[in-house]
Amino acid sequence: MNLLFGLSPFLAVGVGALLLMLAEAFGKPNVAPGVETTDAGAGRAGELALGAAVILVIGAVLSVAVWVAGPESLPELTQVAPHLVIDKFTLFFSFTLCVGGALAALLAGGYLPEHGIDRSEFFPLLLLSTVGAMALSAAGDLLTLFVALETMSLGVYSLIGLRRGSPRAAEAALKYFLLGSFAAAIMLFGLALLYGATGHTDLAGIGAAVRSIGSPGSTVSAGKILISLVLVLVGLAFKVSAVPFHQWTPDAYEGAPTPAATYMAVAVKSAAFAVLLRVLLVGFGDERLASWGAGWPPALAVLAVLSMTVANLVAGRQESVKRMLAYSSIAHAGYALVGVVAAMRSPEAVSAVAFYLLAYTVSTAGAFGALILCGSRGAEAVSYEDLAGVGKRHPAAALAFSLFLFSLAGLPPTAGFFGKLYVFRTAIDSGLYTLAILGLVNSVIGAYYYLRVMVYLYMREPAPGAPRAVTMRSGFVATALVAAAIFVLLLGMAPGFTLDMASGAALTAR
Amino acid sequence: MSPAVRAVFELAPYLAALAAGALLPRRSGWAERAALGLTAALALALVRGLWPGAAPAPAPSPALEWPHLLNVIVFLPLVGAAAILFLPRQSPTLLRRFTLGILVLDLVASLFLLRASPERGWHFQFIADWLPSFGIRYHVAIDGISLWLVLLTTFTTPIAAFVSFGSLKTRVKDLCFSFLLLQGGMLGAFVALDLFLFYVFWELMLVPMLLLIGVWGGVERIKAAYKFFLYTMAGSVLMLAAILYLVWSHREVAGYLTFDYLALSRLVLPKTAAWLCFGAFLLAFAIKVPMFPLHTWLPDAHVQAPTGGSILLAAVLLKLGTYGYLRFCMGMFGGPAWGAAATLASVAIFGGILYGALCAWKQDDIKRLVAYSSVAHLGFVMLGLFAGTRAGVEGAILVMINHGIATGALFLLVGVIYDRRHTRMVREFGGLARPMPIYTAVFVLVTMASIGVPGTNGFVGEFMVILGTFTSMTLGSNAQMQGVAAAFGVILAAVYMLSVVQKVFFGPVTNPKNAHLPDLSARETIALAPLVALIFVLGLFPRILTDRMHDSVDAVLERYREGRLAHQELPEHATTARLRDRRGGPLERGYPKSPEEREAEAAKLAAATAPASAPAAQGAPQ
Repeated sequence: MNLLFGLSPFLAVGVGALLLMLAEAFGKPNVAPGVETTDAGAGRAGELALGAAVILVIGAVLSVAVWVAGPESLPELTQVAPHLVIDKFTLFFSFTLCVGGALAALLAGGYLPEHGIDRSEFFPLLLLSTVGAMALSAAGDLLTLFVALETMSLGVYSLIGLRRGSPRAAEAALKYFLLGSFAAAIMLFGLALLYGATGHTDLAGIGAAVRSIGSPGSTVSAGKILISLVLVLVGLAFKVSAVPFHQWTPDAYEGAPTPAATYMAVAVKSAAFAVLLRVLLVGFGDERLASWGAGWPPALAVLAVLSMTVANLVAGRQESVKRMLAYSSIAHAGYALVGVVAAMRSPEAVSAVAFYLLAYTVSTAGAFGALILCGSRGAEAVSYEDLAGVGKRHPAAALAFSLFLFSLAGLPPTAGFFGKLYVFRTAIDSGLYTLAILGLVNSVIGAYYYLRVMVYLYMREPAPGAPRAVTMRSGFVATALVAAAIFVLLLGMAPGFTLDMASGAALTAR
Repeated sequence: MSPAVRAVFELAPYLAALAAGALLPRRSGWAERAALGLTAALALALVRGLWPGAAPAPAPSPALEWPHLLNVIVFLPLVGAAAILFLPRQSPTLLRRFTLGILVLDLVASLFLLRASPERGWHFQFIADWLPSFGIRYHVAIDGISLWLVLLTTFTTPIAAFVSFGSLKTRVKDLCFSFLLLQGGMLGAFVALDLFLFYVFWELMLVPMLLLIGVWGGVERIKAAYKFFLYTMAGSVLMLAAILYLVWSHREVAGYLTFDYLALSRLVLPKTAAWLCFGAFLLAFAIKVPMFPLHTWLPDAHVQAPTGGSILLAAVLLKLGTYGYLRFCMGMFGGPAWGAAATLASVAIFGGILYGALCAWKQDDIKRLVAYSSVAHLGFVMLGLFAGTRAGVEGAILVMINHGIATGALFLLVGVIYDRRHTRMVREFGGLARPMPIYTAVFVLVTMASIGVPGTNGFVGEFMVILGTFTSMTLGSNAQMQGVAAAFGVILAAVYMLSVVQKVFFGPVTNPKNAHLPDLSARETIALAPLVALIFVLGLFPRILTDRMHDSVDAVLERYREGRLAHQELPEHATTARLRDRRGGPLERGYPKSPEEREAEAAKLAAATAPASAPAAQGAPQ
């Protein structure tokens, strides 16, 4: 029973996904009389979105429940370790993932019918992909790691290509699929090498083997370990879209339906960070590897600096808000990587990254949602020009958009500010002054392009004769925005409870 | 004497002022007359309240200090801003009245701050745990320095809002929201004694000011808005890094996390770190002040901002930079601040006072001229702070207040002709004294205050700053020279201000468009009256301000000196920070407790309640 309780967040979302699939397949299409359709889910995006959101919220609530009950008081959970490691770290991330997924589902509930891509397989795919993401954050074994990664990715590949008629979407899906497969293959090679070198597939065993290098009687080859470390890092850097493995990101985000882009930006990235932290700290947590002299911290630091700087500079030059948000998500990966580097010295940095990703999830989902809200049937708001004058015509949409942008820019009192503060505090605590200062300077560069959206929202009028973006009316999108806004303000002004949760989210090596 | 008669006697001066204000000016409507009379009576009340020795000296009992007063003052505008969001956009009158009501209420509430005793230490202190796991507390308090800046804020914001409501008719809801949010942010930054809280309020001000410039500004408003925002933010993120470093060092030494000013100001950092952190704070504040060569955002922001925005920018926002330097740079980094003072003073004199004045002289746009004159005046403020003498610092604070009043009034006056002619170019005007006599009189008066003619408020502050510079030990052997150079700034101020006054107001009416300009309207008169009254009150009785300031300034200077000594005593190659000894006393009331102290207190509390509860606990099972 305890085992079931401990696994309940995963089971709830997984079983929910299957039920939703059945509901989709056996329901009646809800189309205007006289319209022939072979798609049983046609016209039912609303109810399915609601179902998916409810399932994911249940998943989030169960994650909190298990967190409060304490996974360490459920000894039966060791039965599934190391394939699934249910600790507070996992639970915090599964909460984040469920929240991100639920927001994306709600956004889809408004977006898909509005833009005539009422294809209801979106929601089961979203849920299955979320199960994969949650399993990824729990993976303590190379096998589950790879299976979970592919489960998560496969769903996303098809979510991107949902708009079948559009060449843009096909290009985006193909690009992501090909590059993603390459990255997965590279990582798989690294995992195989790791198994060959250490004889273990569980991360704890690998960690012990790595630690034994250099001690008498050890047969583990340091060279193989280093090569496999590089390969694994490449694979995961692709998933978190760190520069220079980011090329697919703007194209994929732009071609994908916006809710799918939201899901990619929040859930895929968070799950990838979870597994990155676990692999590096449990598998490669040896002092020699996790040091500034050799090993992963300097490599990750370079990735972090590149991601922040390149993405921020390029984002300022974009004309499409969607692409700008894509680059902003790359920049945020850079900020979070600073926290990952700090994790080599300070265990608190793990909590900082976890908190940062939650803050990032709600802010980014909110920003994409506000962008969705600014466009309506046939005329999606994409470029800055589309947003001109929205502040005057639709103050509520503009206010919400500004709030999320402030959070992304890291202005108090929002979630994004506190997340940045936490990450950079742990970086300074670990003596990484240069990284922290580079990150902070970067957030000023970043402020420029977030500000640019504000300028268009409030200070510019659309050019005479230009098509005006009309905001859509959708209860789903509005609900998602209100929920995200509450999160953003709550995490910014009263983050006490969440901070306690995050600071409990330490990794356990099993 | 019966109470009724005494009441009549006490009310008589106010009634006289009311009658004078209502009857003397040549006005048509009764509403206008009533408003003018009311303004006169309120101005009299303000003057009498501030008059030295007029009110019975407040008994220095802390019981008079209602601990929530500062919370009310800071959060009233913030809550009001939130409430504005739920008021209907379609009724601008309601929105304006609501905003003004909140701002005036805030002004009235802040007058109660004057009940604080002028002794050293923190008054109206309020402390609550905010995020205990991060050592962040909600800690607000005032001393004799921030008291005046809070009053300046609550005093100028209603005026700026009142003026703006006259000229800005579009998007009133956003305007009201911006004013209230800005007010809350400014007040919070002046009273925060927790560095995290300070940073939150500091950044909170950016957004409403950005909107004020960018939405209601001039032609180049968007560029000016970007410039304002990015300059300020670039300065403040490095300050954030320095704050985080201080917090980390404090934890290394004392073993617990805290963002509290009282605790962090006892920290003595190793020399390199101290210089770097001081540099980060200095950069943030120097951009805000702004000091040469970081001042380039200011003229753009001022010229593009609407009148109300300019008033607040000049009167209050810039003061946050100088206040920040006084409170945080001098309070926490005594050593580097002392070491850099002589160099920075030269920058303030040549880059600020003299260069600012020369730039002002060459401007064709009156608003840009006033903006550059701000650079010069704030050069005086910074010079007084760098001098580090009592006269210098008190003079600096006086200049802060007086510059807020005089420059606020100047921006208001420039806004008046801009509203009528939609130009601010000097060459467009000439001989305005004929069509607009009252306006001319007020303008000349405010100009006198801005130049620093004796009898007006501008004189006292600048005089004290120059005096303080002349006798300063910090500035070393050049102090006298620097004092002399600064005095030239006063002359230059007369040159640029009087030349513009001469060109605009006197001589024949050259431009026919100016021949029939209407004189000051009732709204403008009401807005100007309190400023003009204060120019004289503070010019003739600067003791109103300085009496309450002495102890706090001494305390600041003491902290400054101690910080410098501790910095000098630190070995050259020390790599670890250390903490200065606690001094106790009123200045350290509210010092953050370490977890051990908290536990000990809790244990003591438990022990105190144990005898009472123990018998009950024993009795229960029976």
